[in-house]
Amino acid sequence: MLHDDLGREIRLPKQPERVMALASSMTEMLFAVLDTARIVGRTQNDDYPAAALRKPIINNYPVDYEQVLRLKPDLIFTTEGITPLDAAARLEEMGVPVYYQNYKKVEDIFSGLVDIGRITGREQQAQHLADSLRRQVAEIRKRHQQEKNPQRVLAITWKDPIYVYGQNTILTDKLHILGAENAVEEVFEQPYPALTREYILKLNPDVLLGDSPKIFEEKFFSLYPELRRIKAYQHKRLYDPTGNLMERPSPRVVESILELEQFLYP
Amino acid sequence: MMRQPVYFMLALLLLLIVLLLGLQVGSFESDAATIVNAFFHYNADNTTHFAIIHLRLPRLLLALVVGASLAFCGYLMQAMVNNGLADPYLLGTASGASLGAVIVFFGFVPITLAGIYMPPVFALAGAFIITLVVVMLGYRKRQLIPAQLLLAGIAISSLGTAIVGMLTFLSDSEGKLKAVIFWSMGSFERASWTLLPYPAVALLLALLLFAFYQKQLNILLLGAERAQALGVQVAHTRWIILATVSVVTGFAVATSGPIGFVGLIIPHVARGLLGTTGRWNLLFCAFIGGFFMLLCDLLSRLIYPPAGLPIGIITSFFGVPFFVYLLFRKNYNFRG
Repeated sequence: MLHDDLGREIRLPKQPERVMALASSMTEMLFAVLDTARIVGRTQNDDYPAAALRKPIINNYPVDYEQVLRLKPDLIFTTEGITPLDAAARLEEMGVPVYYQNYKKVEDIFSGLVDIGRITGREQQAQHLADSLRRQVAEIRKRHQQEKNPQRVLAITWKDPIYVYGQNTILTDKLHILGAENAVEEVFEQPYPALTREYILKLNPDVLLGDSPKIFEEKFFSLYPELRRIKAYQHKRLYDPTGNLMERPSPRVVESILELEQFLYP
Repeated sequence: MMRQPVYFMLALLLLLIVLLLGLQVGSFESDAATIVNAFFHYNADNTTHFAIIHLRLPRLLLALVVGASLAFCGYLMQAMVNNGLADPYLLGTASGASLGAVIVFFGFVPITLAGIYMPPVFALAGAFIITLVVVMLGYRKRQLIPAQLLLAGIAISSLGTAIVGMLTFLSDSEGKLKAVIFWSMGSFERASWTLLPYPAVALLLALLLFAFYQKQLNILLLGAERAQALGVQVAHTRWIILATVSVVTGFAVATSGPIGFVGLIIPHVARGLLGTTGRWNLLFCAFIGGFFMLLCDLLSRLIYPPAGLPIGIITSFFGVPFFVYLLFRKNYNFRG
């Protein structure tokens, strides 16, 4: 008997041999901990690591139940927000247990890896990987402990309407590690709140993440010329982080932090 | 009738109050003095002044114009098809505009062309094309047949909605879905001084035009045959209504999304207050339509800051109870 990050009970008759993920980030987690042969499928969005591309595809939303039955995994891993709870309930009725993970901080990703290792009998490998990633993060953190004026960063996920990374996303922690801050300090109910132009004017962020300066100009500032007043625009601090690194809480989170470091400290 | 000037004055007063309140609501703190300063001692370096003049004011005016446009067009449509259930979207404008915007959102067309943001342009084109198809279907023996027009509008709207649904379902990105959902419920967040003139000019010209047609409209309520007998050129009047509604609604929807309900209920409110055949009905209807929308936008931003709830939700929440009250208040009757 196990409890996942949502506190759901999961009964496993034996140690799961065949597993798969219903979220791209989770597929990356599994590939980092397990032998490729034990992973039986991937979702239509997964593109990393390369080995994942050779696996059969299962549509994750809406969940392709028939394909799940065909591949018959012993356990499915997924994350909150990607797989609806009713889909998980349905999968469990079909005899395929679903284990949710949920990450609020960078550290949660690492303990998530250890969890996966424990459940699948790969605890040592997982622990080893997690420790090495933790050391890398600690080193980065050390480089930026002394930042006096933390840069305030606004990360855009959609331009019309304007949606951004809110305070309770993992980005906030990544920025803290880099001695910077999420410009959105207010905590909204949604992880990615919609903002108005006026709100963004008030935030007046130092850095804007989301696209190249050219695309920002064409699709954002030409649509909202009023926002040309913000510091990020005035000082040309507009950057385009790799989408998959920003969006997926995976073992590549260190890569993501290093990429952000290049933007924040050019 | 002494009632009319009183209602007009009352509406004007309320409108001013809501405008002033609306100017104060936003992310920057701003009291009445700041607002007065923003207007009379505008300082370009003061971001609060900038927000008041370039973000809040155009937004309020856009809400006013769009509310007025929809109510005005609703009134015209109800008069034209002689049915209190008609609304400005009957001609397929809303679903056509949605289809146009969705085509851009889903990447079939570049989102900006020659520096122009495409969703409103395509929304307008979609609205016009669908309206044209509906009108062609509603046209027989060289005249418009209202019942046929109604059915054609419903059918073609459903088709448009189905295509939008299909594109939405097949979409690969959550962001695109959000954009579509947000758009379909309406918003004034894109308001700006460059956008505002299009719907505003369309509305003002239409109001001016129909200052000369109110009488014909009232007679039209008696039915086409009697109106014809009373000297109204029914076919001619219908074409003018049709053209006006498609242009004015088209611009309103293209700038703010298909906001429901206002075009349906506000005409009833206007008739309920002023009587079915009042001389100033159209103008008053546009006026309270604008006021109602302004109020809804303000509420949406107060309830759910900063972005505001989608305006279509608020118009229904606050409009329906009032509408029900109006229906029960007295023997209110569409034909008076």
